[in-house]
Amino acid sequence: MELNRNKKQKINHFLLAALITGGTALLCAPLANTQNYHVVSFILLFVVSILATFMGTGPVLLASTLSAIFWNFFFIPPHYTFHIEKTEDILIFGLFFIIALVNGVLTTRVRKQEKLVRDREKRTNALFQLTKELSKASGINEVLKVAINEIRNHFHIDSLFILQDGENTLRNSGRLQKEKQLTPEEYNAAKWAFKNARKAGALSPHPMGIDFTIYPLQGNRVSPGVVIVKLENEFTTDQQSYWDTFLVQISNALEREFLGEMAQRVRFLDESDRLYKTLFNSISHELRIPVATIMGASDSMLNSSNSSVMQSALSNEIFTASLRLNRLIENLLNISRLESGHISARLDWYDMNDLVNKVADDLKNELKSFTLKIDVPEEMPLVKIDFGLMEQVLYNLLINSTQYAPPASDILLSISYSSQTMLIEVSDNGPGFSEKEISLVFKKFFRVNENKTGGLGLGLSIAKGFVEAHSGTISIENRDEGGAKFSIRIPTEEPDIKNLQETGNE
Amino acid sequence: MNEEDTILIIDDEKQIRRLLEITLSASGYKVIQSINGRDGLIDAATHRPSLIILDLGLPDTDGQKILKKLREWYQKPVIILSVRDSEEDIIKALDNGANDYLTKPFRTGELLARIRAALRSENEMADSAVITFGSLTIDCTSHVVRKNNEMLKLTATEFSLLLLLAKNRGRVLTHQYILKEVWGYKYIEQTQYLRVFVAQLRKKIEDNPSKPSLLITESGIGYRFGE
Repeated sequence: MELNRNKKQKINHFLLAALITGGTALLCAPLANTQNYHVVSFILLFVVSILATFMGTGPVLLASTLSAIFWNFFFIPPHYTFHIEKTEDILIFGLFFIIALVNGVLTTRVRKQEKLVRDREKRTNALFQLTKELSKASGINEVLKVAINEIRNHFHIDSLFILQDGENTLRNSGRLQKEKQLTPEEYNAAKWAFKNARKAGALSPHPMGIDFTIYPLQGNRVSPGVVIVKLENEFTTDQQSYWDTFLVQISNALEREFLGEMAQRVRFLDESDRLYKTLFNSISHELRIPVATIMGASDSMLNSSNSSVMQSALSNEIFTASLRLNRLIENLLNISRLESGHISARLDWYDMNDLVNKVADDLKNELKSFTLKIDVPEEMPLVKIDFGLMEQVLYNLLINSTQYAPPASDILLSISYSSQTMLIEVSDNGPGFSEKEISLVFKKFFRVNENKTGGLGLGLSIAKGFVEAHSGTISIENRDEGGAKFSIRIPTEEPDIKNLQETGNE
Repeated sequence: MNEEDTILIIDDEKQIRRLLEITLSASGYKVIQSINGRDGLIDAATHRPSLIILDLGLPDTDGQKILKKLREWYQKPVIILSVRDSEEDIIKALDNGANDYLTKPFRTGELLARIRAALRSENEMADSAVITFGSLTIDCTSHVVRKNNEMLKLTATEFSLLLLLAKNRGRVLTHQYILKEVWGYKYIEQTQYLRVFVAQLRKKIEDNPSKPSLLITESGIGYRFGE
């Protein structure tokens, strides 16, 4: 299309050049029989110069030749012959011809140079635009969209990308755009181009009997795939280098996305593999220990006539083991409720003393070897919480402290209230946490000292989830005097008890 | 305990039934077992047990429905024993007329205590004028409450609250029920009133208000009067 139009325009220019030259000669006809025929040569020279400013070399050459011929034939005496009588006219004619030629050719060349510079600038701009758009695009699909658009804008052709599947194979169904289905030949050519990293198809050394031209996309580490275009003509050297630069930019952008995707996939696989392994290992371990205790203890109760002291010791073991199993199940249930987003806090007014006493009572066995110091101020207002969830939070935090604090040490649970926020702090004299651990303690299945303490590493992440269900925050820090301190902040309001109702039904 | 109280267990889990039978028989109760809701209703009608232990997840009918059907004619205590542990389920069961609710897994000691409490309050239901809990006595007619023989000054609301809980000793009363009974329908959302009065009451009647033994909190559900 583009090229056809160019051809037609060229022919038009030749015609126009001839017409204008002829016309000028005709207009100058009245001067033919005067002594002023030299003036005509200037007029013709002027016209040729004008033509040179917008026509190519060919038409200008034609115009110069024609004007020389016209001048000689019609204006230099004797008229209507190519014969020239005067020597000075021969000289002028020769000079005229040379000046017309030089003038015409020089002007067009200057114009060509200028056009070249303009084109180059346009291309540089286009490349800059492409680079900018590509760097903004995130994800393979966006990069492809930008690439197809920019190719259309600057080369006036449609393009089709086929990308590899991440395992260095092009797949016909893979990431092909939907609009076009490739024929088997085209697909083979694409595969060949990808494998050999060379141009294939029409207008290439490997035509392979298809209408399209296929260019491989090459990155530094990964070859993203191929691009398929339909070209009318071969690219000019200039266009070719422009096109190559375009493809390099696109390939780099695609490679960037590819590598990013691959890295993410690897990370994801690693993570889920690790999670699965940890979960499996710790669940089977955590289940086996109490089950082993229950089996062993009950077996020895069945098979021998133990003393009643022994009997009660064994039953105690069974009881403790079953509590541990029960806690494990509770934690698994809670974490799965949190994961599935089924937790929503049902807020109501509660007395924090109630909550604290309840948890302390539930944990009285675990806390036996510690001193639990509870600090709830006398003027502590009622708070709006979900009792069940907060009970679990405190329970988990205290259990955590009992696992890390040295025996016979103090565990401090303090609660306070100021400006619409309740602050709960649990401090212990344990080893505290390292910087790295601080960032990890609330993660699922994370345990400090993997083997020393039991548990799945779920307690703290459940606590965090439940606190967040109250729109609150939980944080951890090491105390200056040693040990860890958990701080929970929960937004609450002050209860409306000003007009506290005494009942009248007396 | 009457000479021999009969307890009906409605539960489809064989192992739970066996555990309950061993435990309850050892404590001197006579035990009948039903493995589903339909049988349970028939057994309740034919044996007239002193107390029923009902599971909610029954194979044929939902336990809540059985509870409602039972309550159409059965006035004696029903204790729910279920794996369902959500506050909704518990409150619904209590609203449907259950006297108490224990979640599985449970401690048999706890269950026996709840059974004793339910049966005793059943037997004491005959409106006695004076209720005694250890050192605490409540005179229902003269509205006088004494602790260690000292008269306690209670406000009218504190007294109604105490009386309601004491009369239903051993039984879990939901927040809404207490608010409705003591303050009236309009106030059933005003949990904060209840909290404030419970705290006040505890300071007056409990030996150690921070470790209450009489006015016991049931997490997220309500209160129960213990001994």
